[in-house]
Amino acid sequence: MNHCAAVKKSVPLTIRSLITLIVITIAIPSAAQINFERLLADEANGADWLSYSGGYRSERFSPLAQINRDTVKDLKVIWAYQMQPTDMSGAGLQETTPLVAEGIMYLTESPSSVTALDALTGRLLWHWSPEIDEEVLHIGFPKVNRGLAILDETVFVGTLDARLFALDAGTGAVRWETEVADNSVGFSLTLAPLVVDNLVIIGMSGAEAGVRAFIDAYDAKTGERVWRTYTVPAPGEPGSETWQGDSWQTGGGSTWLTGSYDPELDLLYWTTGNPAPDWNGDLRPGDNLFTCSLLALDPATGEMRWHFQYTPHDTHDWDANQIPILIDGKIKGQNRKLVALANRNAFYYLIDRTNGEFVHASQYSKQTWAAGIDGTGRPILIPDKEPSEEGTLVWPSLQGATNWFSPSYNPDTEQFFVANRRMGAVYYKADAEYEPGTPFLGGGEQALSGDDASGAVLALNGLTGEQQWEFPLQSPPWSGVMATGGGLVFGSSNEGYFFALDATSGQALWRFNTGAHIRTNPMGFAIDGKQRVAITGGQTLYVFGLNQ
Amino acid sequence: MTWRTTLCLCTALLLTPATWANQPEDNGQSSASPIPAMNETDLAAGRQLFSVHCARCHGMQGDGGEGPSLQRARLKHVSDDESLFEVINDGIQGTGMPGTWAPNDDEIWQIAGFVRSLGKLPEEPMPGDPAAGAILYADSACATCHISRGQGRGVGPELTEVGLRRNAEYLRRSLTNPDADSPMLDSQITGRINGFLTVRAVASDGEYEGLRVSEDEFSVQLRDLRGTIHSFEKSQLLRYEKAFGHSLMPGYLTVLNNQNTDDLVSYLMSLKGDS
Repeated sequence: MNHCAAVKKSVPLTIRSLITLIVITIAIPSAAQINFERLLADEANGADWLSYSGGYRSERFSPLAQINRDTVKDLKVIWAYQMQPTDMSGAGLQETTPLVAEGIMYLTESPSSVTALDALTGRLLWHWSPEIDEEVLHIGFPKVNRGLAILDETVFVGTLDARLFALDAGTGAVRWETEVADNSVGFSLTLAPLVVDNLVIIGMSGAEAGVRAFIDAYDAKTGERVWRTYTVPAPGEPGSETWQGDSWQTGGGSTWLTGSYDPELDLLYWTTGNPAPDWNGDLRPGDNLFTCSLLALDPATGEMRWHFQYTPHDTHDWDANQIPILIDGKIKGQNRKLVALANRNAFYYLIDRTNGEFVHASQYSKQTWAAGIDGTGRPILIPDKEPSEEGTLVWPSLQGATNWFSPSYNPDTEQFFVANRRMGAVYYKADAEYEPGTPFLGGGEQALSGDDASGAVLALNGLTGEQQWEFPLQSPPWSGVMATGGGLVFGSSNEGYFFALDATSGQALWRFNTGAHIRTNPMGFAIDGKQRVAITGGQTLYVFGLNQ
Repeated sequence: MTWRTTLCLCTALLLTPATWANQPEDNGQSSASPIPAMNETDLAAGRQLFSVHCARCHGMQGDGGEGPSLQRARLKHVSDDESLFEVINDGIQGTGMPGTWAPNDDEIWQIAGFVRSLGKLPEEPMPGDPAAGAILYADSACATCHISRGQGRGVGPELTEVGLRRNAEYLRRSLTNPDADSPMLDSQITGRINGFLTVRAVASDGEYEGLRVSEDEFSVQLRDLRGTIHSFEKSQLLRYEKAFGHSLMPGYLTVLNNQNTDDLVSYLMSLKGDS
């Protein structure tokens, strides 16, 4: 399979390389020209990386195969880029996934800056940094940004103070900006937007401040808002029966991670986070729809077609903000269109992406809160696992069995790879009173740590959830994985290693010590016909290849 | 001697009497601080929050434990009320003091107010004679494994400031039952880790035991009792064990009588970084 993938990609890659080579050597790189058709073809295009997850199916799979089981031992740093210093207190954690389009790499830097680099050499082309007030609210998360989106000659980025910017891809000049929401009450943007057709779609953070969350779509040319879909229903709307009193007004349900898109079904898939307040469920009786859920939306109107709630009435802060990967395969002999998601609550789910029907769930990491998942997809709760005043020990911790960092799916081998956090926590419950722009939590958590916690990269059978292998990590990771057509899985660790695993066995074949904490996802591209893999460790972006 | 006791660079809030003496005009308050205006209700709320978020390391009465006693007028990493707020909110990098994000700003101020009230309490009395303890320290060859005031060998934790980090009860336990505690360190990279773990590595050329200095997915580095650092590829080890609950520090329960122990504890309590 892997060699086939290499051959399959070799022709377009060569053509592409030739074009790129001409562009690079005869002229300086020009701004990208990426239309919607190019975005639709991103998944199969190993040379570019045009959206946060490397394509609308969000597989984070690079089909390229020059770097493979045999050659990976020769992988070396081709170039590196040092992030720009920032004066902002608390900024500097880097969680970006770069894009690469026509020889230019675009990436974000903490807190909300954008940089364009020559993907061949790493030389800086432009850097844009918005003015953000030192007092910007970021309640419940660090001052990070995870990436951007691209369409035509424009790149799009959300900022920590909840603005959305469109920048000229050639120069970084601002084409338009709009205030998505009011940062003074806790709204913030850390995710990469997603472009579908002529719309820029973006979610937001803020549940720890008790916001009522939503997903927005903006006209890519003008910045005008086209639609807004709230994730917590108002009285009288479907789902409102799962809230009592005014609790919906501060109900949370943040949408802080980029979604996926199925062009055939014309459905947008977006995940939602915890209800607010986080740990005191007494203040919001009911299932609290549509928090901790997967939503299927009409991308043109934002209309909700269906939903699936993973963790009803969550009291452990188990956001469902993980990457939903669109996979196809046989379930009980039937071809199914599915959404696969390794949830923070320690279960791996398959949902029918045509109608939201629950298909499968299986435990992939230690958990002590549910006896299982019933036939409808609802967890079978174990008693007395709620947060309490004296503290309740539960696995996983509030950071979950995984978190925002990306999983990966190899459609050829039907393997689902996920970076796994193995850590319990003592959950506390306390009173909570809503006050705009302040934490609205209702408790806290003391996570187990040290040698009581660890991590792993897991390979699961994507259609059954069965574990195939695990690669142990020293501590619970904050970085994602990327599978490739070369039979490899790239991952990284808190301890600073960027490594390549054999996708069949989980054996480590290559590693590089970046000397810094890694909190980003790997991504891949090709330039001048040569495969590249990129990761950021600390403040340095590294690009690896077999040769210059 | 008790490397177990000091190991913890988890010096969260440390007192520096010398600094305090040199800054007579700094009363630890500032105009933006709400602490001076706090009433009994605020302090009671602060005590309650302290018991949830802080007492596990600093003791229910703020009298120390794995973390330092806060019953001191002056705290090392704190110059005023705002910096106390920041220490509670953000933690202290490279120590055992983590930040906290669960309490809101008002609650952090209440915790800070309670911590300030602890500073008005008298310091813990020494149980014995520190001068006699100093002689015991020398006679017991503690310096073969500990550095204090620049003297000794750095196998176990440095003791120069151990009196700022540990209370008498913790120090006594470290002498008599060093296996009892496992100090933690807070690291931005790995989070909160076991700071001084005994590990054993069996390599093709022999068996090694020592304190874990560093570890990752692929390798481990340990310091043996001679102070030599060894680095191993895990994949090449025949066996690798983490000896939880086992300290390399010998127990002195049967070596020292109660008076000796009190004296040695008092000497260690007197080690506060001043020479």
